[in-house]
Amino acid sequence: MQALASAAEWFIGLFIAGGEQFVGLVTGIVPLLIVLMTFVNALITLIGPEKIDKVGEAAGKEGLIYYPIRYMILPFLAVFFLTNPMAYTMGRFLPEKYKPAFYDSAVSFVHPPLGIFPHVNPGEYFVWGGIAAGIEQAGYRVSDLAIRYLLIGLVVILFRGIVTERITAIMSKRNVVAEEPAS
Amino acid sequence: MKGINKLLESIGRGVGKVVGSMYQAGRDSVDQVIKNVLPFMAFISLIIGIILKTGIGDWIARTLSPLAGSLLGLVVLSIIIAIPVLSPLLGPGAVIASIIGTLLGTQFATKAIPAQYALPALFAINPQVGCDFIPVGLALGEAEPETVEVGVPAILFSRFITGPLAVVLAYFASFGLFTN
Repeated sequence: MQALASAAEWFIGLFIAGGEQFVGLVTGIVPLLIVLMTFVNALITLIGPEKIDKVGEAAGKEGLIYYPIRYMILPFLAVFFLTNPMAYTMGRFLPEKYKPAFYDSAVSFVHPPLGIFPHVNPGEYFVWGGIAAGIEQAGYRVSDLAIRYLLIGLVVILFRGIVTERITAIMSKRNVVAEEPAS
Repeated sequence: MKGINKLLESIGRGVGKVVGSMYQAGRDSVDQVIKNVLPFMAFISLIIGIILKTGIGDWIARTLSPLAGSLLGLVVLSIIIAIPVLSPLLGPGAVIASIIGTLLGTQFATKAIPAQYALPALFAINPQVGCDFIPVGLALGEAEPETVEVGVPAILFSRFITGPLAVVLAYFASFGLFTN
């Protein structure tokens, strides 16, 4: 009987610990998340997300200086204003050969801003939130990590976009050759 | 008189628009939190509670922490997650990334892993981001079927290169972070 009781206590203990975590998360993050998301969502409605269409039209041009526009500025604006998953619709302004690279670049940016702009992807907050919570519990300033995650994220999507664009070009050339062996 | 009326009308309109958008924004935010954030929090809390109470945490500290507490280990982790066959399977809902992130978070909390590995770890758990969603994402960008056909393997191969590269980059970018 004694063993049964302590087994039950252990079992319930798992969920008491989980419940404490839950309360910590709800009181710690949720109020901030709701107020911040309300502010940013209102701002986006007032500015009008259609304004970034012009950037999309400019980003499709050839040339070296358009790489940062296409794989850094456009994904940033698309993710910030349109959020996951509508950000990928900005690809419609680009030529076909750039579309996979743009998607790759944009989708890789739906987590790096989460420390500062959680409205971009609140459903996947814990990709950032899990590690951030640990850092906070260890007694460090999370905002240091948040800002670096955002900035390095921008660098990563730039070179990811460029690499994917190159690979797409190589693969589509190979596809064309495979389809027309005679020529 | 007419001028004042016009002024009042435009002020009213402006205020109405601002208040309306803010109210709608609040409604959207609360909806998002209830539908997407809170359920995930419940799930994550359950996992953390079990890890903390059962001693799985100690086991993770012994096996996973040495891996996550070094550059080489994080690069290996990112390469495994970025394997082109594996990455689309690990993508959906970012569940895997969130779980690994939370596991690592418990180790950062106890300082079993030094805090300066947090930045490379954030990239190491996430080279598969969006790999499950490529055809849909490209369709949202109004891509032709031929583009999708080339784009899916191109992105998957690119991740295999850029995933580990991002970890290395983040490692060097984390110098000076949390050193005191």
